[in-house]
Amino acid sequence: MRIIVPIRQILDPRGFTVSPRHERIFINREEYIINPNDKNALEVALSLKDAGEAEVIVIAGGQARLDDALREAMAMGADAAYLLTDEVLAKTDAAGVAEALARGIEKIGDFDLIVVGQETLDTADAQLGPWLAEYLGVAQVGGVRQASISDGVLRVRRNWGAGYAEVEVALPALLTVASGANKPRYPHGGRIMAAYREWQVITWNSEDLGLTAADLAPLTQGRGRAFPPERTLGERLTGSPQDVAAELVQQLRLRRII
Amino acid sequence: MDLDYLQMLMGEEEVVVEEKGEGYRNIWVVAERAGDELVPVTLEMLNQARQLASTLGAYVMAVLLGGDEALAQELIYYGADKVFLCDDPALKDYALEPYAKALGDLFAEKMPEIVLFGAADVGSELAPRLARRLGTIVLTNCTGLTLDAAQRTLVCTMPAYGGEYSEVVAFSPEVHPQMVTVRPGAFGRPYRDEYRSAEVETVAVDLDGVQPRVKVLNVVAQVEREPVPLDKARIIVSAGRGMGDAEGFALVEKLAAALGGEVAGSRGAVDEGWIDEEKQVGMGGVTVRPDLYIACGISGAIQHYLGMEEAKFVVAVNADENAPILKVADVGIVGDAKEVIPAIIEALGA
Amino acid sequence: MDFTFPKEYELFRRMVREFAENEVRPLAKKVDAEHRVPFETIKKAAKLGLMGVPFPRKYGGSGAGETGYCILMEELGKVCTSTATVIGAHTGIGAMAIYLDGTEEQKEKYLKPLASGEKIAAFALTEAQAGSDAAAIKTRAVRDGDYYVLNGSKCFITNGDIADIITVMAVTDPSLGARGGVTAFIVEKGFPGFSIGTLENKMGIRGSSTAELIFEDCRVPKENVLGQFGAGFITFMKTLDIGRASLAAACLGGAQAAMEGAMRWAAVRSQFGVPIAQKQSVHFAIADMATEIEALRSLVYRTAWLIDTGQPHVKEAAMCKVYGSEVASRCINRALQIFGGMGYSREFWVERAFRDARIAEIFEGTSEIQRIVIASNLFREMGLRISP
Repeated sequence: MRIIVPIRQILDPRGFTVSPRHERIFINREEYIINPNDKNALEVALSLKDAGEAEVIVIAGGQARLDDALREAMAMGADAAYLLTDEVLAKTDAAGVAEALARGIEKIGDFDLIVVGQETLDTADAQLGPWLAEYLGVAQVGGVRQASISDGVLRVRRNWGAGYAEVEVALPALLTVASGANKPRYPHGGRIMAAYREWQVITWNSEDLGLTAADLAPLTQGRGRAFPPERTLGERLTGSPQDVAAELVQQLRLRRII
Repeated sequence: MDLDYLQMLMGEEEVVVEEKGEGYRNIWVVAERAGDELVPVTLEMLNQARQLASTLGAYVMAVLLGGDEALAQELIYYGADKVFLCDDPALKDYALEPYAKALGDLFAEKMPEIVLFGAADVGSELAPRLARRLGTIVLTNCTGLTLDAAQRTLVCTMPAYGGEYSEVVAFSPEVHPQMVTVRPGAFGRPYRDEYRSAEVETVAVDLDGVQPRVKVLNVVAQVEREPVPLDKARIIVSAGRGMGDAEGFALVEKLAAALGGEVAGSRGAVDEGWIDEEKQVGMGGVTVRPDLYIACGISGAIQHYLGMEEAKFVVAVNADENAPILKVADVGIVGDAKEVIPAIIEALGA
Repeated sequence: MDFTFPKEYELFRRMVREFAENEVRPLAKKVDAEHRVPFETIKKAAKLGLMGVPFPRKYGGSGAGETGYCILMEELGKVCTSTATVIGAHTGIGAMAIYLDGTEEQKEKYLKPLASGEKIAAFALTEAQAGSDAAAIKTRAVRDGDYYVLNGSKCFITNGDIADIITVMAVTDPSLGARGGVTAFIVEKGFPGFSIGTLENKMGIRGSSTAELIFEDCRVPKENVLGQFGAGFITFMKTLDIGRASLAAACLGGAQAAMEGAMRWAAVRSQFGVPIAQKQSVHFAIADMATEIEALRSLVYRTAWLIDTGQPHVKEAAMCKVYGSEVASRCINRALQIFGGMGYSREFWVERAFRDARIAEIFEGTSEIQRIVIASNLFREMGLRISP
């Protein structure tokens, strides 16, 4: 059985500070990490591998620094890694990356299952999974928490409303895994060393994928960032317990905290 | 309270922009329902769609799959100018393939300019799939939608890093339709206007050969909330010695339950025996980073503060108006926690 | 010259830092208070290859060398000295002796399960009458057919009671003394005649165990002689040299954590109307800590590099040990002063760090012994003879 897991990379939030006052992000230490939800997806794939025979392949498209994310994924347990990168791919947007990943997966060949993190932490992008499923023409289940396989049938527990649903789907299929669905394993010490010293990441460029700069032209335009208001501390609410309670609850709701 | 920010996110433009695009018209809202009820995000989308429609000079079209006439009426009361109802029995329960087929055919024929989906269970998996089918893309989890008048494109705000800040992204003008998913709770609910009337058009869908590929075995409607470790909790209600006695502490537990949060305590609460040492927040215990930290009867000594300084929003309830916690709280309430907390619980239920 | 860590070490550090934060820190206060070994952590560490970091992958290790091992010790030292001590005694000296001087068969039989963390190792040199003066050990080993029979006792042995495999030094020819008369043996805990004596009730590193080991006609098969017969002293000295660098790495982590903790505290603790972080006295303390820490970091990782590249490192390892242990003690002491009364409270980690740090100036060769090693190496390098 072959499982493919796309991996995305984000700026490590522990390395920057957001300043609403300056409406800026101050980067203290520029470090990139695997999108945490993609680690949840990889964990689902690796636990299927633990439970039976499976080959887990990771794939990433975009900037060359994704190489580190793929090696970390191999250190966690993935068997092979593909990196789709060149100058054109490095400049495309999430839609272009999705296109490249779809082509890359087709080029890898047969697969039984694709497991994708539902969304990215940096831009809340939740497009990739279902988009790929449509492109590749396979069944799809979203909001996945757990998955197991028996006799070629995939059994999945997915989020559904305030509860969950147990569903069955025939392979090949694509799962998008809910954020926080599991606690991803740590990369293994020895595998970290091997991932950089012994193992290869196979690299394809846009030409290998049959894509031109025009195909990968961004479909979106960045329009900057918006910042929440600067935090003011020490505000007091006064009045009867009922009044202050009502005011507090309204403030929490307005700020979408509850 | 700074409301300008929220208004800015929601968009305040009053410009009417000229039509562009090759026959792509109107704003479509894909209604999401749970059984016989519309899920809240559907109504919120209608509200936002109305505002965009007046700027664009367009209609708000709603599409309802598998519902009935009465539910279609509700969509009109909440702001739809027209409802397309697909009441094919095959659409009664959600299944991706028939839903995607029905919407795909409808959109190919009607050519919407903008389509809004809810970023809930159904919309999240349907929208990107349809985007690919229609040769376009989707921007997901939007918390703000405005229009770029010059380019006649949608400008979307997406929460970055769980809302630390937001990324603002516009569709390129050549993208049609412009599809988004809208995060539940991002927009207000519209007024239900029973005097509104509009057409409900029943549309037939060709589902020949379309089979659901996912078989639902069973559904558990409600799960009991599992306790979350304090260092990962989103909402924490924390008690200090100021709660007085075990009865006072029980109020804190009640408030946490009402908010769906975790209970914690200061050193004082641990010493009083109300709570285990593992639940102690501070330098001698756990360091927490919740979105909301409510400190009840906690004075806020530095050793406690160092355990919760990274909380994104702090509420303090304390009888002593000079308590240090009030200086580091976003909102402070000076009063008897035993009176204030029940009032908060009541206000939450309202 | 290149002072940057290769990427595999950056990822390795990130992994062990997260492991230390999420798995080790939550238990640090508890294991100290309960005076017990964090076995649950050891099990998790084993799964990640962290019980055999410096050993080659073919023996089940991580193949990360002394550099990787120092990174592990530094990150563990930041959150829990006890855990660093348990893993340190196991990897850095117990298993290290077998890796350095074991035969292929011994490595296959003993190093593999140790590197994978399936079994725990200890290193037994010290005796009641022989600590710094290691050559004065009294434990005897006498040949009896295919066996050696060991008699005597060892004390202050870290992991002594939890170890499955122990490297033990015993006298095989009293007439030859340290040079030729001492042999290293690999002892399994199940060997007849081996038993555990009293456990120490210590001031610090209370999440590690320290035991007395008793050998009463303990029969050790002759194939368990480690290294050359009679050359045990060399085996042990080589092992301890390497152990010293990683021990200093744990001190480095402890010092760094103390400084950062004190800085956080100083930024919020106000006296005379301003945070004490604005006081020059605090600035000076922090600047001194930071400078010493940086010097120590350079020394530790340069020494690790010497070891990994097979260069002489005895003097540098001794410098690591003496400087590392003293920098940690000084920094934690300074940090405690910044914390004031709160630093003295059992409630907080500062007090524990203070107690934990003290042992580093004593075990695996006291500071005094390290200074002797450094000085005698220097005299030798200059070609000066100082012994009669």
